Amino acid sequence: MLRLERRVDVPRWWTWAVPVASVLAAMVLGAVLIVSSGNDPLDVYRRIFESAVLGSGSLSGTVVAATPLLFTGLAAAAAFRMGVFNIGGEGQFIIGAIAGAGVALRFGESMGAGVIPLMIVAAAVAGALWAAIAGALRAWFKTNEIITSLMLNYIALNIGDYLIFNSESSWRLLEGSGRMFPQGKPIDTSAEWPFSHVGPVDFPFGFWLGVIIAIVVWVLYRRTRFGFEVKVIADSPSAATYAGMRARRTIVSVMALSGALAGIGGASDIGDTRHVFDPKGLRQSGYGYTGIVVAALARLNPVAVVPVALLMGGLNNAGRALQGRDFPAGLVGTLQGLILFCALGGEILARYRVRRVAKAVLAS
Amino acid sequence: MKRSAFVSSLLAGALLLSACGKSESGSSSSGESDAKSDGGAVKAAWIYVGPTNDGGWTTAHDNGRKAVEKALGDKVETTFKENVPEGPEVAQVIEDLVKDGNKIIFATSFGFGDAMMAAAKKYPDVKFEHATGIPNDIENFSTYFGAGEQSLYLSGMAAGAETKKGVIGFVAPFPIPEVVRHINAYALGVQSVNPSAVVRVVWINNWFDPPKERQAAESLVAGGADVIASGGDSPAPGEAAKTLGVGWTGYDSDQSTNFPDVWLTAAVYDWGPYYTEHVQSVIDGDWKKQDYYGSIADGFTDIAPFGTRVTDDTKAKIEAKKDEIKSGDFDIFAGPIVDQAGAEKVAAGASLPFGDQMSIDWFVKGVEGDIPKS
Repeated sequence: MLRLERRVDVPRWWTWAVPVASVLAAMVLGAVLIVSSGNDPLDVYRRIFESAVLGSGSLSGTVVAATPLLFTGLAAAAAFRMGVFNIGGEGQFIIGAIAGAGVALRFGESMGAGVIPLMIVAAAVAGALWAAIAGALRAWFKTNEIITSLMLNYIALNIGDYLIFNSESSWRLLEGSGRMFPQGKPIDTSAEWPFSHVGPVDFPFGFWLGVIIAIVVWVLYRRTRFGFEVKVIADSPSAATYAGMRARRTIVSVMALSGALAGIGGASDIGDTRHVFDPKGLRQSGYGYTGIVVAALARLNPVAVVPVALLMGGLNNAGRALQGRDFPAGLVGTLQGLILFCALGGEILARYRVRRVAKAVLAS
Repeated sequence: MKRSAFVSSLLAGALLLSACGKSESGSSSSGESDAKSDGGAVKAAWIYVGPTNDGGWTTAHDNGRKAVEKALGDKVETTFKENVPEGPEVAQVIEDLVKDGNKIIFATSFGFGDAMMAAAKKYPDVKFEHATGIPNDIENFSTYFGAGEQSLYLSGMAAGAETKKGVIGFVAPFPIPEVVRHINAYALGVQSVNPSAVVRVVWINNWFDPPKERQAAESLVAGGADVIASGGDSPAPGEAAKTLGVGWTGYDSDQSTNFPDVWLTAAVYDWGPYYTEHVQSVIDGDWKKQDYYGSIADGFTDIAPFGTRVTDDTKAKIEAKKDEIKSGDFDIFAGPIVDQAGAEKVAAGASLPFGDQMSIDWFVKGVEGDIPKS
């Protein structure tokens, strides 16, 4: 019998050595795969690195791809830390995008860039309320939030479809090419979020916002009473109740916080990149679900979400750059999967040791 | 016949232009060396919204790409990107393709339009072609598509002959003029052989969503339809038809061998010759901006081989109609045509103008379903 045992003394240097070793292991395993598909692994890795980091404009592309994942990753991390499994980042992102776009379309022209804080607040509130539905159901009716938050994703997607495809909503473009194909109305250019340039790299405003929020969330969970309560409730709900903590209220708060984070991601999608509400494109991108992977890789640490989101964004871009005539999309996906698998596997092996246990010991 | 005339006129134009080019000084020759990568092959790229094995729209385009490779051999080096989301990611994909030295880029989904136009303005030396796109005035930007409605009229005839209950279910992607036009043509084809039959429409609001396409087909059959029509990109409705034992008309790709028991026919596009000509024109340095709309007469659109369910009598009728369309003797949108409410939209002896076809937002009589008003 094999059993996982928690390691008591984990050396400090492991915290960076393990991830590096994991990625190296993934590259070795990946090389086997690449060779068997008739490609040159060194060339493939060079191309991955080039299209994610080195190439001109590659880093900018990576940052843009990472920005939505930053928010959905934070949303998942914030909820999962308390053992509240919010799978609804996807829907909260969309509701946030609807709110953000709604505000920008209504006030963008008159307020200009002044509408940006309003977009963020509106998206955060909308995402929080949407997530709070699943939170309240969990808190008072013990409904499984995995199911409810997942189902709310479909509702959000269908609301999005309704606004653009099946109604004359104010989100929809009703003239010009909008008559050819149902599409969102672009927000006023003065309400578009600014890009800042650091060296050759363009950073969307949403990226910096995400980094700041990551730090705020980290402080919230590490340094405040609220964070302490979350930790206690996560470890032992009955102990928390005994200590007079209001577990229900905290569950709803954490869910709302998580939803607000995903919602702001939706506002960033409108402000930073798309500038229109595009349910079809959002459905295809699936940022909410990728965010769960980001959070898991970051070990639910809000600050670690930032580099992991960049890694995932870079991998996604590199994946699309790699695929082509002699490099099928499936192989790209397999390579990405290998890297993630090794990173998670390495994490477990670093924190736990595998022990062979005699059956007799188990029985006693 | 017309196709070869089209090709030869293109070739003649190409020769003429290249002659002009040569008589001019060094500028055109430097442009030519520019268009070719180190190996002497011109690089061409395709951007797909779905997977190349979707068994429909993207498969058809990728077959077109393979036809280019076959026809032009080592004069061309092709690549493609599949499953590309319609969003901020496209810009990066195009950027990479340009950096890799591709000189002509085809994008095969409507939603890639904005990113393609932005890239076309940024890279004037690269040719951008957008399938189903909206014509615009960017110099290095073309749009291309085909009169699928002609083929859908013919596949509608096969469906009309097949149905016993007089109810045909249409799995429709988006309520946009292109799809509405296709459904109308299909319904008119159905009615030409079976005047009382109706076409029921279910919108799935997606181009490629196999589970939803299949579900829609199943619900249509449950509601009384005994023939299913695909308007989306996947053959999933065919799977449903196979399970339920009803006839099926596909779209985009010939699936006759995969669904022999239920297959009727399908409206198909032959992208290969178009792609070959246009990549060739980049090689020759005489690529021209245009907004191409192919037809059965051009050989651009057609119907797939018939399945065993289609009787010889129906086959003969359809072939005869196809010849009439080809020769221009038959116009599928010739009047009289009345809409769902019974109002006359096209008078007898008249025809629906091309511009109205392109922006059509009403269903013909005999179609059951709503177009969400815009």
